[in-house]
Amino acid sequence: MKTRIVLLAIAAGAIQLAGCKKDDLEPVPTNVVADVSAFDSESRILGQVNGLYATIKNAGLYGGRYQIFNDIRGGDFQNDRTNVVTGFDVWNYTPGNSSGNSVQAVWSRAYYAINLANVFLAGMDAKGAAVVGDEKANQFRGEARFVRAMCYYAMLQLYARPYWDGSGSKPGLPLRLTANTGPSDYNLARATVAEVYTQILEDLNFAEANLPANYATNALNTTRAHTNTAIAIKARVYLSMGRYPDVITEANKIVPASAPFTASTGVAHALQASVATIYTNYSTTESILSMPFSDVETPGTQNQLGYYYGSSAMNGGNGEYSLLSTGIIANTDWAETDARRAFIVTSGTKKYLNKYPKSAPFTDWAPVIRYPEVLLSLAEAITRSSNTVDDRAVALLNAVRQRSDASAGFTSGDFASADELAAAIMTERRIEFLGEGLAGADLTRLGLPLPAKPGITAVAATQQEYIWPISSTELLLNELCVDN
Amino acid sequence: MRKLILLLLGIVMLSGQLIAQSRSVTGKITDANGNPIVNASILVKGSNAGTTTADDGSFTLNLPPNARTLVFSAVGTQTQELNIGNRGVFNVQLASDDKDLQEVVVVGYGNAMKRKEVTGNIATVKGDAVANRPSQSFEQSLGGRAPGVQITIPSGVLNAPPVFRVRGTNSISLSSQPLIVIDGIPMYSGDASSTSAAGNALASINPNDIESIDIAKDAASTAIYGSRAANGVVFVTTKKGKSGRPRVNLDSWVGWNKVQRLPKLLDAFQYTDYKNQALTNSGLFSATNQFALTEGPDGQPINTNWYDYVYRNGFSHNNALSMSGGNEATKYYTSIAYTSQEGIIKRNDFKRVSALMSVDHKVNKAISVGTKLQYSNEKNLSAVSSGSLGDAFATAGLGRVPMITAPNISPYNNDGSYNYSGALIGVMNNKLGQVGFNNPVIQLDQNRGNAEINRILANAYLQIKPIRSLTFRSQYNVDYLYVDNEIYYSPISGEGFASGGSATSIYGQNKRWVWSNTLQYDEKLGEHSFGALIGTEQQKSNNKSYGLNQIGATDPDFTNIQGGWRTPTASGLGIGENYLLSYFGRLTYDFGKKYFISGNMRRDGASQLGINNKWGTFWGVSAGWEINREGFFQDAGLDKIFSSLRLRGSYGKVGNIDGLGQYASLSTFGSGLYGGNGTFVFNQAGNPNLGWETSAKTDIGLNFGILDDRISGEVTYYKNNVDGLILYVPSPPSAGLPTTIPTNIGSMYNRGVEIALNLVPIQKKDFSWNANFNITFNKNEVTALAPGVDNIITATGGLESPSITVVGKPLGMLFVTRTNGVDPETGRRIFINKNGDEVYYQHVAPTGRFRYEYADGTVAPTVSSADAEVYKNTNPKYYGGFDNTFRFKNFSLNALFTFQGGNYTYWGSYAGLRDQRFWNNSTDVLRAWTKSGDQTDMPKSYFGDNVSNGSSFPLDVNVFKGDFIKLRTLTLAYSLPGTVTSKAKINSFRFYVTGNNLWIGTKYPGPDPEVSSNGTGNTNQGIDRNTVGNARGVIVGINVGF
Repeated sequence: MKTRIVLLAIAAGAIQLAGCKKDDLEPVPTNVVADVSAFDSESRILGQVNGLYATIKNAGLYGGRYQIFNDIRGGDFQNDRTNVVTGFDVWNYTPGNSSGNSVQAVWSRAYYAINLANVFLAGMDAKGAAVVGDEKANQFRGEARFVRAMCYYAMLQLYARPYWDGSGSKPGLPLRLTANTGPSDYNLARATVAEVYTQILEDLNFAEANLPANYATNALNTTRAHTNTAIAIKARVYLSMGRYPDVITEANKIVPASAPFTASTGVAHALQASVATIYTNYSTTESILSMPFSDVETPGTQNQLGYYYGSSAMNGGNGEYSLLSTGIIANTDWAETDARRAFIVTSGTKKYLNKYPKSAPFTDWAPVIRYPEVLLSLAEAITRSSNTVDDRAVALLNAVRQRSDASAGFTSGDFASADELAAAIMTERRIEFLGEGLAGADLTRLGLPLPAKPGITAVAATQQEYIWPISSTELLLNELCVDN
Repeated sequence: MRKLILLLLGIVMLSGQLIAQSRSVTGKITDANGNPIVNASILVKGSNAGTTTADDGSFTLNLPPNARTLVFSAVGTQTQELNIGNRGVFNVQLASDDKDLQEVVVVGYGNAMKRKEVTGNIATVKGDAVANRPSQSFEQSLGGRAPGVQITIPSGVLNAPPVFRVRGTNSISLSSQPLIVIDGIPMYSGDASSTSAAGNALASINPNDIESIDIAKDAASTAIYGSRAANGVVFVTTKKGKSGRPRVNLDSWVGWNKVQRLPKLLDAFQYTDYKNQALTNSGLFSATNQFALTEGPDGQPINTNWYDYVYRNGFSHNNALSMSGGNEATKYYTSIAYTSQEGIIKRNDFKRVSALMSVDHKVNKAISVGTKLQYSNEKNLSAVSSGSLGDAFATAGLGRVPMITAPNISPYNNDGSYNYSGALIGVMNNKLGQVGFNNPVIQLDQNRGNAEINRILANAYLQIKPIRSLTFRSQYNVDYLYVDNEIYYSPISGEGFASGGSATSIYGQNKRWVWSNTLQYDEKLGEHSFGALIGTEQQKSNNKSYGLNQIGATDPDFTNIQGGWRTPTASGLGIGENYLLSYFGRLTYDFGKKYFISGNMRRDGASQLGINNKWGTFWGVSAGWEINREGFFQDAGLDKIFSSLRLRGSYGKVGNIDGLGQYASLSTFGSGLYGGNGTFVFNQAGNPNLGWETSAKTDIGLNFGILDDRISGEVTYYKNNVDGLILYVPSPPSAGLPTTIPTNIGSMYNRGVEIALNLVPIQKKDFSWNANFNITFNKNEVTALAPGVDNIITATGGLESPSITVVGKPLGMLFVTRTNGVDPETGRRIFINKNGDEVYYQHVAPTGRFRYEYADGTVAPTVSSADAEVYKNTNPKYYGGFDNTFRFKNFSLNALFTFQGGNYTYWGSYAGLRDQRFWNNSTDVLRAWTKSGDQTDMPKSYFGDNVSNGSSFPLDVNVFKGDFIKLRTLTLAYSLPGTVTSKAKINSFRFYVTGNNLWIGTKYPGPDPEVSSNGTGNTNQGIDRNTVGNARGVIVGINVGF
């Protein structure tokens, strides 16, 4: 009897041991996806691709803040709120290593997206390519490398000396190309500007070769990269490097020899008849790449273009930046009959930019690159590389100008020299892309000083403040990274 | 002839047997006082025959053949053996046993052990000590009761989890609170509420149901709980039935409490004059910019004491009825109780209904079963934020609002309507944009933040003893915690104004089961006794929560989410699980009750840990030497002086994973939207090697008793070396990792001495005096952080950071900018910047001068928190309690003092009390500097100055010594004499009056030096920022035994 009880007890214990669930020691969360399953299906892989764009759009990189920071480094805006959270120190050329909302935020956001791209590429090589097949895999790889290139490009314009300074031999950025997922030694020195540009171009070339020619909808064509997107960005990159012949080569892929200017392959980019259209209909073919927003995808507090540029009376914005009365709006070459003057509104005693009229939550899409930029870049490249007043360059300039002001076309005779034509093209860029994030890069790539503003002296290209300092967190944790 | 003798012998023996077979004996067993003992046991030695006494102590026993000796014994008495011989009647009086042998201690799994045989370090607090108190949960009453145990009641908010530290703070990023095991299940603890009412999960236990609390402190006694033992293990045992007459007990009390030691504030007249002077000093005073009195509805100027609108005298009551009883085979205990308590803040209430039922049944000699079911429903109620639960800077926080709102305005307009303008309180006649934050009366009248908790703690066990020395036990426990959170902000209240009103309901469900199986073997061979225990246990916990937030009421009468609202949003979503699988064992051996040795080991696999590091082995060994029993000791006659003398020591390694996120070791991808399409983004960087924090504990102690234990005590030295502390290590941003990575990398130690003394100075028939004294000295020091982590700066309320943790110092030092008084010539605050230079500050500088100047008038760089230095320690260097009980006939008087010292506290509220914006101030500002030559600690008042006082960045002028001694409880009780109670046919009747927190001896100028604005946080203790102080009160109660 006693033995039986003992045996029963042991049996009970054994049953219980067998019943114990060793699997429960490795629980699988149900509201997030563990990294080991992130490449299990095409929808998850596509989700990661969408996630790359979402990352450079959210929390203030290409979703608004990058454009704003570049705008206010130019000479067309006046700061009205003295709030460093909304770029006051960027506007007056004094951001420090610890400036949380500019120097630190842009750096960490861009590198987060770069690492996401690296993690994606590594995962595709390991697992994902088998899931979606090689063609789709290369398409997605192209998008990841495109986003990576956009991030490195954005950072080069702010944290590194321009390419013309020593042909890119100055310190650039730590070149992160491997997937970082866990603890490791992350000390890495800064590569040179030239090395970073080389990587950018390599990524964009791969993208051009592997991205689809177009997507099924206009919205997708505007919010995800396709072949012509890579080409247009390459034109921008080569222009920043001052490699004008390469700008011409690239731009010619999507710009015909003569008007009407529209891309003949891939998405048929072209100028809209009215410039106002692109700020309400966000997916026309003129918008090559924009960051989308909606009521369920808002830009987030103090990131929104409409909040910065619109006054309270206009759209409930915060009127962070009004237009400098001495800036481009005072330029007499910009006629009052120009349709783009409609974007300049008076509110109270000041003038504001009204390209982003939506009220809270300010869901205007953020433009990243439009077709007219390719046209004007091509015009400028032709002018500077040939050092002549080229007819095609004038035609390209006219295409953009006369779209908004039919009566204000130029003729070749209006320009005594290539320099005059170049100056007119630069002026046109300022007018066309006011508030769209090109001003700062347009100054630094030509070595022009950051302009004087009320109470602020100009910054010459040789001064330390010409570019941003390196994030203090990076300097603290990366022993091999040196400050500017 | 021989055959005849043999035959005769046989007949005699046979007849002797026959006589023996039919013989029975009777008798009565009484105790030392002559009272009958129920269920005393009478055994025939060497046989299975025996019986127990009836209710009147009498028995009848049929003796088997060859019965020689009877053994008489009962619980709590000494055993007697008597030869049977020819006696037929045995009236035996049994002397009461040595009280040490009576005392048993819960050691986790297996049977409770006798205290004298335990070689680990376990402190015991009896259930009486935590019952009959105006508390919501038992830990609130543990302060000063056990060496090594330090309790801090963080604020006067009801049911806020107390800071519970066993031998110092033992973790940085994980929890430092001990593991609470109730009747075999580690129970959910911490704050279960998501609202402005605190909801301590330990309040589900009715303190009247607690039999004892055993606090295990060293490795030997805690290693049986392995990976969760590093902060100590607290075993709570609920009452069980005892055999005998059924006992019915009623415990009731009613009580009153109120707030104490509030800072004195300026009244309306002083405020108006002082603030206008400050405006004048700043050059801002004008007809359109000044403070002014307002005439109230009674024709007098409005002079509001905001304390009256926020605080109240709280009334509380408690009723608990329990019934227990049983016989040899079945024992039961059941209780029901209801308590309704009002806190000192208006609308802050706690109501609990609880019921407990436990049954233990011996099916036969080998098998026993039992079950316990404990249910409670707790309503944690409040109107609005107290600002005392980690939210020190909440706009609505009632700890701060009455101190800073202008006293020359009223919460009501003269027509009786609420005084408000938008989300802020209206300014009335003051010509300023703002003179207060929200109107607290609207919030107290209309808003609510409630957390209703339903709790089930239940278990069932089967125990089989196939042979006397072997016990198999299987026990299944559950802990289910359901919480219903409700928050409502009315559209005219401060929090609800911008959204047009807001209602939120969040439901949370936490379910845990534990199944343990143990096999225990105990054997005694001569002088050797040994025991072995092996077991296995599984624990699974699941949680989920979901809720809805509605904003924009379509009608002000809609006050819950089910009403009419404009915008719904999901809220409070959460889901998770964790699992623990364990194997454990214990070996104990002793020789002659003189030499003891024991070892515990546990192997735990925890799901929260990294995939490469799920399993860990934890162990502890201890040894004890009962010197008193040594031959040489007794030969020297020393055992006449020492009634007990025991040396013991232990060492081992245990772990801590409490508070580690369930998926913290994983790398995960979260979801979102891009252009309306789904995204997956790598959002958490994990660590596959994430393991537990390890604590290597050393413990050496000496227990002694002299003069027949009239004086007894213990002295213990301990050292906890904690390493593998989990720190969230950052990587360079260019590496692009989405989060910091939890890494086992830091280390620190706690080292100290505990001394406990029990004295019985007077023990006479009519008068006795019992005293208990305990003191613990503790030193904490952080010895390593992580590369890239030179210091950890911790915020209070998300807005100021007066706490810093650095290597070489204790955790959570105060981090403030230094000052050097007020300049008597100009009334300016003098700061000391990081270069050691004195910098003078004036908020409004005349033309040609600067805000920050050196003594010579040249401009100085701005002083800020960048100039802060590591300043003072917040961990008490010593703490303890002093308990005295005086008994005179049927009266008793008990006084418990608790004390702590060697620490500093940051009274951040004092910065607010001297803030020169519209904020009301302490009357201390009336001694502000006014003319050259004034020696004072208050700088010249400039309106708008929030720098000189410590609002802009923390200053040393708001740091004070936190030493205190408190008269925590003072109880006067009277027990009705036996003659009266037996006439009334009841067993006992005790009437008592207890005062709580009656007196605080301290130099700390704030309301209460026992405070924590940051709750149970590890690195930000010692902060008093806008926190409601502890209450003082009186309860009057009865304990009746039927």
